[in-house]
Amino acid sequence: MRQDLVIGMAGAGGDGVIAAGEALIAAAAIDGYHARMTKSFGSQIRGGESSFRLRMSTAPVLSLGGALDVAVALNWDDFLRFGAELPVGGRTTVIYDSKTGVATSQIPLTGITPAEVVAVPIDQMARDLVGNDRAKNTVVLGLLSGWFGLPAAAILSGLKKRFAAKGEETVKRNEDAFNAGVKYAQEHPLAKGSTLAPVAKTTAKRLIADGNTMCGAAAIVAGCRFFGGYPITPSTEIMQFLTKELFKYGGTVLQAEDEIAGVGAAIGASFAGVKAMTATSGPGMSLKSEMLGLATIAELPLVCVNVQRGGPSTGIPTKSEQSDLFQAVFSAHGDVVRPVLAPVSVADIFGITIEAFNIAEAYQTPVIVLSDGDIGQRKETVDPFNVDAFPIVERDRPAPDELAAYTRFKLTESGVSPISEPGMAGGNYLASGIEHTQSGAPTAAGSVHAEMTAKRSRKLDPLKKRKDLFQEYGRAGAPLALVSWGSVAGIAQEALTLAEREGLRVKLLVPRLLYPVAEEIYRAFFKSVQGGLIVEQSYQGQLWRLLRMFVNVPDGVEPFARPSAVPISPEELVTRLKHIAVELQRGRMPEAAPVE
Amino acid sequence: MQATLQAKDFKSDLKPIWCPGCGDFGVLSAIQRALAAIGRPPHEIAFVSGIGCSSRIPGYTTAYGFNTIHGRPLPIAQGIKLAKPELLVLAAGGDGDGFSIGGGHVAHVVRRNIDITYIVMDNQIYGLTKGQLSPTSPRGLKSVTSPYGSLEGPINPLLSVLAYGAGYVAQGTPADMAALAKLIEDGIRYPGFAFINVQSPCITYGSVDAQLKQQKAAMQDLRALGHDSSNKLGAYALAEEYGTKLYTGVFYRKPVAEPTMEGLAAERHAMLREKALPKSDILKLFAPA
Repeated sequence: MRQDLVIGMAGAGGDGVIAAGEALIAAAAIDGYHARMTKSFGSQIRGGESSFRLRMSTAPVLSLGGALDVAVALNWDDFLRFGAELPVGGRTTVIYDSKTGVATSQIPLTGITPAEVVAVPIDQMARDLVGNDRAKNTVVLGLLSGWFGLPAAAILSGLKKRFAAKGEETVKRNEDAFNAGVKYAQEHPLAKGSTLAPVAKTTAKRLIADGNTMCGAAAIVAGCRFFGGYPITPSTEIMQFLTKELFKYGGTVLQAEDEIAGVGAAIGASFAGVKAMTATSGPGMSLKSEMLGLATIAELPLVCVNVQRGGPSTGIPTKSEQSDLFQAVFSAHGDVVRPVLAPVSVADIFGITIEAFNIAEAYQTPVIVLSDGDIGQRKETVDPFNVDAFPIVERDRPAPDELAAYTRFKLTESGVSPISEPGMAGGNYLASGIEHTQSGAPTAAGSVHAEMTAKRSRKLDPLKKRKDLFQEYGRAGAPLALVSWGSVAGIAQEALTLAEREGLRVKLLVPRLLYPVAEEIYRAFFKSVQGGLIVEQSYQGQLWRLLRMFVNVPDGVEPFARPSAVPISPEELVTRLKHIAVELQRGRMPEAAPVE
Repeated sequence: MQATLQAKDFKSDLKPIWCPGCGDFGVLSAIQRALAAIGRPPHEIAFVSGIGCSSRIPGYTTAYGFNTIHGRPLPIAQGIKLAKPELLVLAAGGDGDGFSIGGGHVAHVVRRNIDITYIVMDNQIYGLTKGQLSPTSPRGLKSVTSPYGSLEGPINPLLSVLAYGAGYVAQGTPADMAALAKLIEDGIRYPGFAFINVQSPCITYGSVDAQLKQQKAAMQDLRALGHDSSNKLGAYALAEEYGTKLYTGVFYRKPVAEPTMEGLAAERHAMLREKALPKSDILKLFAPA
C-alpha cells in the first residue's frame, strides 16, 4: 500500500484543474493526511493551460517529491507544456481523456515508458452526466478516489459546499459525475496502481494555507495595522488577504499608485507609531530599495516581504526562484546592515513574519522577509498551533520622564535609542534620510556619520547569536554538510534522510536568518565538515558566495545552485553528496562544480 | 486646543541653510504663523518633505518633521495620515520634488482626498544642485543644463492639481507673507487635500522673478479681480495663465468637500470591527472546506 502519492494534472484554462487540486488537498486535510500542492499556469490571463501537482502522505511532506505517481492529462498539448513540473517516470500511472484520441504508443514522453497508461472517456462522462464538459474535473476526482482510495466523503462534502450556491440540481449532477468516476474506477481496475493507506481518523484536522495568506495572518497577529503595496505576482495575495481582514482590526491597506508609494506610505505609518508592512516581488524590491535605505537611516521599523520570482527585470513572474538574496542584503547605497529572514514552509512563514515585526520594532530597522513564489502560492496542510505562544515585541518608546530631555538618536551602547512618535508631547524630532546628529539635526560632519553608521550597524549584532533562527538536522560531527534556505530547505531535508539511509554521514543547516551573517553559528557548524553542498534555486549560488565573505567555508563545500526552470530533487543532491564522499575518501579535494 | 500659541512656538533652533534673501524664509514664517492661528500644539503636527532647498523646512519648525527622499513626501505623508488621522499633516517640497520626480504621486493623493496640506515652493529652477532646469522652468530658459535655452515647456502645477480634482487650490508668494499665511491656514482648515503653490523666488539662480520686489509688482489678487473661488471653470481659466501672470489667492475651493480616505477608512473600521476574529482564533481562516 502506498503511503505517499504524488499526483499531477493538467488541462486547458476553464477545465477546473486547480479546483480539482484544491478539492483534493482539502479532502486530504480533513482526512488527516499531510499534503502540499503547487499550481502552475501559462502566462495567459484567460484560457491557456493550468496544472497542479499535489503530494499527500501519511508523513509530513517536505517536498513535492520526484516523478509523479499519477498523471492526469485532460489533453496532451496542455499536459506536455508542464514537462519539468509534471515529470512522468517509470512508475507513473498516466490517465488521459480518450477524447484526445492519442493512441498510447504515440504519447510523446521523450523516451520514458510509464508503468501504465489508461484512457478514460472523461469528457464523454461529464457530458452524459452533467450535460456539459464543465464537470470533467469532478469525474477525475471520482476516478482518483476510486483508484487510489482518496477520501470520497471528504471530497463529496467539499463539492457540496462549492456548488451549494448554484442550487441542489447542480450539486446532484456533480455528485453523479463524481460517483460515475468512482464506479468507472471500480469496474476498470488498474494493473499496477494501489491504494493509499487511510490515515487514522484520530488525527486532528489540519489546516490548509498558502504562504502569502499565512504571512498576512501573521502580520495581523504581530500587530501590523498598516499595509502599503502594489499588486505584483507572486506576492499579491498578501495584499488581497489584508484588504479583506486588516480593516476588521482597525488597520488600513493602501493599494498605492506604485511600489515606491506603497513602501513610502508604510514608512510614514511607522513614523506615526503604527506597525507597518509592505510586500512585493523582485521588480518591486528594486523600486523600493531607496525607501529601504531611508527607513534604515531614519531608524524606523518596517517589514518588507519579497516573494521571489525568476528575474532579472520582469523575468518569469510565475516561477519561483531564490535569486534575490544579494539584492535583499545589498540593494541600497551606503553602509547598510539590514536583517533578512527566510521562511522554510507555509507554516514557518507565520513565525518568521512575526519575528520580522519583532526584530523591526526591537531594533528600529526595516526587515526583509525573503519568501518565494513556491512558499507564497503553494497550498499546504498545516498542523494547528497556538497563536498566542508567539511573543510580540513593541518598540522602545521614551517614558514620560525621559521626554523632558529627549534625544531621538541618542548614542547608546546597544545602538537602540527610544523612539517617540507624533502625538507624544516633548518627543518632537526631525527624522531624515540625511545624516543627522543625536538630536536629529542634519549634518555633513564625517565624525558624526561614522558614529551613526556604527550605531545603526551594531544594534543588529545580537541577531548573530540567534540560534533559534537556525535549524540543524543530522549527526553533529558529520563530515558532509548540506546548507539550504527557503522553500528548497525541505528538499535538502529529504536528501538528508535519503543520504543517511545510504550510509552517508551528513548534517544539514537551515538558516532562517540570512543577514547579518551569524558567523559563529556557521563556524561551529562547518568545524567537522570536509565537503558538502549549499543548495538554492539560483544560478550564482548566492548563499555560498555570501557565506564565503564572512566564514571559512571548507573548500569541499560547493554550491548546488540552479535557477527555477527544473526543480531540484533530493535524489540528485544525494548523488552529488556520494560523489563528494568518494572524492574525500580518496583523499583528494572533490572536483568543484563549475561556477560562473 | 491652545489658543495662545504664537508663531515663535513653531520656530526650531536649527539655522536655515538657505541663501540670504531666499523666498523660502517667508514661506517658513507664513507656515509658522498659520500653525499658530490653527492652534494645534507642535507635537500633534507631522511635517513631511522631500529633498531640495525647500525640503529642509520641517527641521526649522518644532513639529515632528520628516525630511525624506527626493519626490516622495506625499506617499509618506499619506501613510502618516492614514495611520493616525488625528494628526495635522503637512507636506512640502520644491517644484522638482513635486512635479518632476514625485509628479506621479500628486494625482493619487488628490483622488484619495487625504487631508494633507501640500505646499510647493515653486522657483522654476533647481537650487540645491546649483541651477539646473526644473519642470516649471519656462521654455527657452538658459540654465546649466540648458545652456542654449530650454527646449521644453513648463508643467502647470495649478492646472494639473485642479484637473486631478483637488478641493483646495491656491497660490501665494512670500512677498505678501500675511496673505500667504492666511492661504496656508485656510488650506489646513479645508477638510481634504489642499494644494498651495508658492512662487518662492530663488535669488541665487533666479530665473524669472528673481527679486521679491519685482514679484510684488506683478502680483494680482484673485479676489480683487472678482474671481469666485467656487467657480471651477473660472479657476481653470485663471490657472491657464500660470507662467505669464502671478495670481495670488484661492483659485478653487470646493463648496462641499468630498469624504476623505481616512474618514471612509474609519467608517469601514467601525462597520467591520465585529467581524474581527480574536487573535488566538485567526487560524480558523484556514480550516478546510
